[in-house]
Amino acid sequence: MINLSINGRKLAVKPGSTILEAAATLGLEIPHYCYHPDIGIDGNCRMCVVQVGQNTRKLAIACQLPCTEGMDVQTESPAVVKARKGILEFLLINHPLDCTICDQAGECPLQDYAYRFGPGDSRFVEKKGKKAKHVAFSDTVMFDGERCILCTRCTRFFEQVRGSRPIGVENMGGKSTITLGPNGPITDPYQMNIIDICPVGALTSRDFRFRQRVWFMDFAQTVCPGCARGCNITAGSYQGKLLRFSPRRNPDVNKSWMCDDGRLSYRQYNLTARTRGATVLGEPATQPAALDKVRELVGDGSGVAVLASTRSTCEDLFALKTWASGAGIKALWHGAASWAGDDMLKLPDATPNTAGARELGFTPVPDKPGAAVGGKLRVLVVAGDVAVPAALLADLDALVLQAPVAGALGAAAAVLLPGRTPLEKKGTLVNATGQRQPIKPALDPGAGVPEDWTLWRDLARAGWPTLLHLQAEMARAGCAPGLARKATVEEHALSQRASVLTGQP
Amino acid sequence: MIRETKILSARFDKPESWKLDGFRRDGGYETYLSALKTRKPGELVAEVKASGLKGRGGAGFSTGTKWSFIPEGIGKPVYLCVNGDESEPGTFKDRQILERDPHQLLEGVGLTCYAIGAHTAWVYLRCEFAEGLRKVQAAIDEAYAAKLFGKNIAGSGFDLDVHLHLGAGAYICGEETSLLNSIEGLRPYPRNKPPFPAVEGLFGCPTIINNVETIANIPHIVKRGAAWYAGLGHKEDPGARLWCVSGHVKTCGVWEIETGFSLQELIDSPQFCGGIRDGRRLKAVIPGGSSSRVLTADEVRQTTMDVPCMKRVNSSLGSAGIIVLDETADMADVALNLMKFYAHESCGQCTPCREGTPWVVKVLDRIVHGRGRLEDMDLLLDIADNMEGRTVCALADGACWPLVSIVQKFRPEFEAHLARAHRAAVAGVGA
Repeated sequence: MINLSINGRKLAVKPGSTILEAAATLGLEIPHYCYHPDIGIDGNCRMCVVQVGQNTRKLAIACQLPCTEGMDVQTESPAVVKARKGILEFLLINHPLDCTICDQAGECPLQDYAYRFGPGDSRFVEKKGKKAKHVAFSDTVMFDGERCILCTRCTRFFEQVRGSRPIGVENMGGKSTITLGPNGPITDPYQMNIIDICPVGALTSRDFRFRQRVWFMDFAQTVCPGCARGCNITAGSYQGKLLRFSPRRNPDVNKSWMCDDGRLSYRQYNLTARTRGATVLGEPATQPAALDKVRELVGDGSGVAVLASTRSTCEDLFALKTWASGAGIKALWHGAASWAGDDMLKLPDATPNTAGARELGFTPVPDKPGAAVGGKLRVLVVAGDVAVPAALLADLDALVLQAPVAGALGAAAAVLLPGRTPLEKKGTLVNATGQRQPIKPALDPGAGVPEDWTLWRDLARAGWPTLLHLQAEMARAGCAPGLARKATVEEHALSQRASVLTGQP
Repeated sequence: MIRETKILSARFDKPESWKLDGFRRDGGYETYLSALKTRKPGELVAEVKASGLKGRGGAGFSTGTKWSFIPEGIGKPVYLCVNGDESEPGTFKDRQILERDPHQLLEGVGLTCYAIGAHTAWVYLRCEFAEGLRKVQAAIDEAYAAKLFGKNIAGSGFDLDVHLHLGAGAYICGEETSLLNSIEGLRPYPRNKPPFPAVEGLFGCPTIINNVETIANIPHIVKRGAAWYAGLGHKEDPGARLWCVSGHVKTCGVWEIETGFSLQELIDSPQFCGGIRDGRRLKAVIPGGSSSRVLTADEVRQTTMDVPCMKRVNSSLGSAGIIVLDETADMADVALNLMKFYAHESCGQCTPCREGTPWVVKVLDRIVHGRGRLEDMDLLLDIADNMEGRTVCALADGACWPLVSIVQKFRPEFEAHLARAHRAAVAGVGA
């Protein structure tokens, strides 16, 4: 371990740690633009200057300089404070200062640092430089050269993360600007990540721009339901409508990235028509009446199968399994959905909790479903948002359908129960590599849509008043040991680390 | 009495001095070939270190010490890059070597590569040196044909390949780590240090980057010994250098003179500059290429051209480009001219240089064109304070040193611009 002091506070860090990383372990944020934990060091913005020892003429950059034994680092010395002010003044002199119409406003490190460390006013009385504005880099990314501070996070993202160079720096000195390469618009399926890592409003999402000021929005830290990777995301919404997904850093799952398909999948969770309240044989019914009908249809459980969605949480599935097992149902199946995977994050399994379903004993739909339930599939209980194979419906006496959107099957259902989308749920998901991750509701589905697990609880007449009680029961049953506590600790640690290093919310 | 010491320039005026035949008739490549057989690489490094030779590109770092930074036994190839991207305003010495005695440079390349254990060398030239690059390429071809380069040179078992690489005309490529990026085919942004190139340079391998004039000195030092070289010129900054004089003198030129001579004498001597043109008076000298602090006429009188004296007068010998300015020079305009160069040549990587150099130009442009304000001079000094020492490379420092020294030493000239502007404005209102 290397011993050093930062602002007089002593600490020990692993050999090779930079000053910026060392400071982060103290919870001390050293402002920076070009450095990003997942695309590394470049050292161009000079925002992270610190004083090492007594040398005030040549300041070090904290992102790049490795800690050495006995190092004495000052992050608030007069020389550092002045240099930082100087850097912000430089960054702002040719910046358009168009925060009032800029989508980055409110989540802009340039704005934030200007308030915290900046000079407050400008001594620049000259004409500002002119650069290309509203340049479409692609169908999804818009570029504004005048807002750009040339930190090159975007070009380095492509070079280092994607191994390509669709954009680069053109010209020299004050005329430098980011430009599209000779092959035209960016086609990379991960290109929208450059919007998030851009510390200013130079790169904006053509999908999100001009739609809402971020300070009016609500944000939920959750997990992308798009595939089995389970990329950690922040879901942004306004007045009950999702406006965007953006990746949230988790070094073990998705680093700071997510695929564009997952990012834009937020649209499908803004439901226009949905199931509210229960229906029995096409007539609105109270929930207890509907559940009684389910019990009646299931009977002793023979000839009954459950088809569960792998978009459901582990909690939903545990409650479902508890009820089904108690009701004598032996066939616990899970559905599937797929899309084209890729070489980075996106997996072919287009649902977020297949591993969780498997862990709880749900199995894929067998080739001969009738035989699997001892002759004839009499009643099918569909739990959650899942595509039902036609073979299951062929010779059915009754269908129980619980889903956010009933769809074409709704009319055929003897009992129809409401359901929530993953964006309306609290609980946990297990991704393809076995990480158990908490999700939190970004949207409130409103009246008549209880949490999915409560339906199965009520059917089972189980005594879990809250989700925490259910999770405790799961822990006792050996499913997801230590789940509740682990989730909160991890969440906290990740959000702390992410914001100190990425400079993003 | 100031006089020339012709070492590097000894053969400059011979007919076809750039050809191999003549070079070998004068004993060329003998030092190289004999060193390959009779001397150990470590001896050569020690010899150069003991000679006191300093880098001639501008920074003036001890050449032998730089060579000794190459780590041993790390299992990577070692490279030599010869920096011939001579672009510092006021500097035109390397060009003389490239055009008039390229084999002298190549012999130095051979000896240096042998000393540092390199088997590949790149001679990096700015593409505007059309004549120099033709001469150097022809010399490389001649050397290969004479089996001075290639495999198992003269049966010594030593292999060496020498490549000529052209820059595309950016000043920043003369910064050693930019030069490496340029050779690697990358945008020539300077690299952060550490790691230093001697540890992690070209293609991630240990690399020594030396200026053309530095390398050209190596055969002479190896041939005549460290003691001989250390005895030349000023004892704390030994050697002879090719001094480039330009500006308002009667005769401009390049002269090879041992360090420690009087700058005033060089300017006045009939054998050298012959005094200031048209009988005018000296106003200022930029002594070491445009990136050095300006000296006033009073300072010039006390200045000898050696590192210790330059430290005393707070300037530097840099690349030995001496720019002489007479009383007709408008120092605000001089500053504007210089700063336009730095703004144009800033690579744009670091915030302070990218944003600061064009800002300085805009302020100076206002002053020179009669739109200056009283606070502008302090503003210039403070912008410079926010640039100097705040960037990856020394380009911003090189812009700040002349700027700050000009503003500080010639402030009345800036104020005269303001007064003139003020009078014009008053007259304009009156009319």
